Amino acid sequence: MSDVNDCSTEDNQGVRLVRVRGEVDLSWSQRLRKSVLEALASNKPVAVDLSAVTYIDSSGIAALVEGFQNARGKSQRFSLVAVSKPVHAVLELARLDRVFPIFASLDDAVK
Amino acid sequence: MSSAAPLLPTPNGLARIGPEEVGILADFSHAFAASMDVGETLRRAVVQIAEHMNAEAAAVFLVDPVAGDIVCRACAGPVDVVGLRVQQGRGIVGRAIAENRVQMVRDTARDPDHLGDQRGFHTRSILCAPLDTAEGAIGALQVLNKRDGALFDSHDANVLRLLAVPTALALNNARLMRELVEQNRIKREFQLARQMQKTLLPARRRDFPITALNLPAREISGDFYDYFEIADGRIAFCLGDVAGKGMDAALLMVRASSCLRWVGKDATPPGEWLTKVNRELSETVTRGMFVCAVAGYYDPRTSMIEMANAGFPPLLLRRGDESMRELRADGPPLGILGDYSYSSERLALAGGCLYAFSDGVTDVRGPDRKPIGIEGVRALVERVSGLSPRARVRAIVGHLRKMSLADDTTLMLIADDGAPSRYLGGLAGSSDPENLRLVRRKVAELTHDLGFAEAQRQLIVLAVDEAVANVIRHAYAGCCDGRVELSIWLDADAVRFELRDYASPVDPERIRPRDLSECRPGGLGVNLIDTVMDRWLFRHPDDGAGNQLTMIKRLP
Repeated sequence: MSDVNDCSTEDNQGVRLVRVRGEVDLSWSQRLRKSVLEALASNKPVAVDLSAVTYIDSSGIAALVEGFQNARGKSQRFSLVAVSKPVHAVLELARLDRVFPIFASLDDAVK
Repeated sequence: MSSAAPLLPTPNGLARIGPEEVGILADFSHAFAASMDVGETLRRAVVQIAEHMNAEAAAVFLVDPVAGDIVCRACAGPVDVVGLRVQQGRGIVGRAIAENRVQMVRDTARDPDHLGDQRGFHTRSILCAPLDTAEGAIGALQVLNKRDGALFDSHDANVLRLLAVPTALALNNARLMRELVEQNRIKREFQLARQMQKTLLPARRRDFPITALNLPAREISGDFYDYFEIADGRIAFCLGDVAGKGMDAALLMVRASSCLRWVGKDATPPGEWLTKVNRELSETVTRGMFVCAVAGYYDPRTSMIEMANAGFPPLLLRRGDESMRELRADGPPLGILGDYSYSSERLALAGGCLYAFSDGVTDVRGPDRKPIGIEGVRALVERVSGLSPRARVRAIVGHLRKMSLADDTTLMLIADDGAPSRYLGGLAGSSDPENLRLVRRKVAELTHDLGFAEAQRQLIVLAVDEAVANVIRHAYAGCCDGRVELSIWLDADAVRFELRDYASPVDPERIRPRDLSECRPGGLGVNLIDTVMDRWLFRHPDDGAGNQLTMIKRLP
């Protein structure tokens, strides 16, 4: 289950929702980066669902930071939703937990 | 006078005092006891004294210990003489204080000690009682001229003596209180100075080859030590002992330690290091003060020490089965001969331990009350040598504390003979990002039983993953066929990760944590390593090829 990395994008409540699953490390973070940047190209609000991410390293965090900066540059909404515990620990360590808009669920993000 | 009146002891026997005197005595004592402001109470007291004794004027004089004379602190009467000063021993007041006895002058014209009238007030007769305390008279109560033209009598003298008692008590209490406040202030300042000195000492590092400790003989110390890593991976250390142990020694200690740190940071060879500091201190230090110091570098990779010694007690080198060696100073203490050139010496620690002790250690007195000397210190080192370096320092300090410390005491150990490390396991493979998952599994598995909390263990896994990812990305520039080796060791109180690659050497200057306050995508990895690990060191291995990263995480 968690051994399988996956990244899918869907439209949900007017938001481009990127669902990520598995372990995001150097071998796979480019895939996350690509999905995030493609979602942002839609000009809709973008949310990244991290509930099924069991591991993330700095290359994965870097992909999220790049997405965040990209969105801010064009005043597009970009948020992280349902952040899993391991991801939150790394965000905290990098002191990025207060930089990203983080919501408990997609419902909270679109409110 | 009532027959039940209390008796007052006088030099001539017991005198009876009446209910009126008992009343004013009670009022007086109460006023002094209830008041926080002795000055104000004194001013009211002299008015009451003049009133009660039916005198034209009354005054309180106190000895001024600073100016060395006697000064009027409060007065009642037609002329204000507050602030009037009289030399000690002069006048009737001076006589009362000097002899610590009541003076009764019925006719001032006939007393040669009378100093004359003050500011138009004609003094006919004087009654003056000393304010007696355990430390002698601190002043005197004085009344002038009975109002009805009568003369002061022995009853008046006894009453004034009686009133002098609570007055002296109150003044003495106030003085003791002032002294106590002053003592507390000085004590606080010494404590602050001690705290400040402590901040100059480096923080104790558990997984570090150098362990040191300072036990000050008083609040503040003339001893100091320092150690810090320099850019080339060596560890600079210095240890000093300033002559004397008061505030002047403490201030010179601050100066000497900052000079030593300043010069040592530049990797200046030890001989030249001490030569420079000596020149600087010789130019500025007060004559008669000097600093004994030892300074040098320890290279944990080669186990070599290079050091120089300026008048510091002999260092002891204990290495394997060899007999213990004494390493003596090669030059005089710092601050005496400004143009002296110190020389460096090199020695291999090679699995041994170097002990440096300030003379506070050799001067410690044993049960026979004689200083234990270098022989005693050698015996102490021998006794603790089976322990781990940290336990050794604790044991030495324990032994020293049992004896009597006369001087500031400082010791430093540079140890290459800590508890042996245990190899937990590791893996080697190609620089393919797909292998990161294996690395994480391995680190998670090998750190499982070390007592870390789950969240902590996940962060350790993260830090090692980051380190390997950095090798793949930066050292091998994304090339997947480079070799990466990871070995995991259990040290005495830490788990150690050794990561080796065979890529082109990377400039250690480039491996630095970035400022987290700027939000940007890259460069986070080193930061995570730096945050999670207690210590890490990046270097070029001695056998030449590639890069080596050591990461150390203390056991919980």
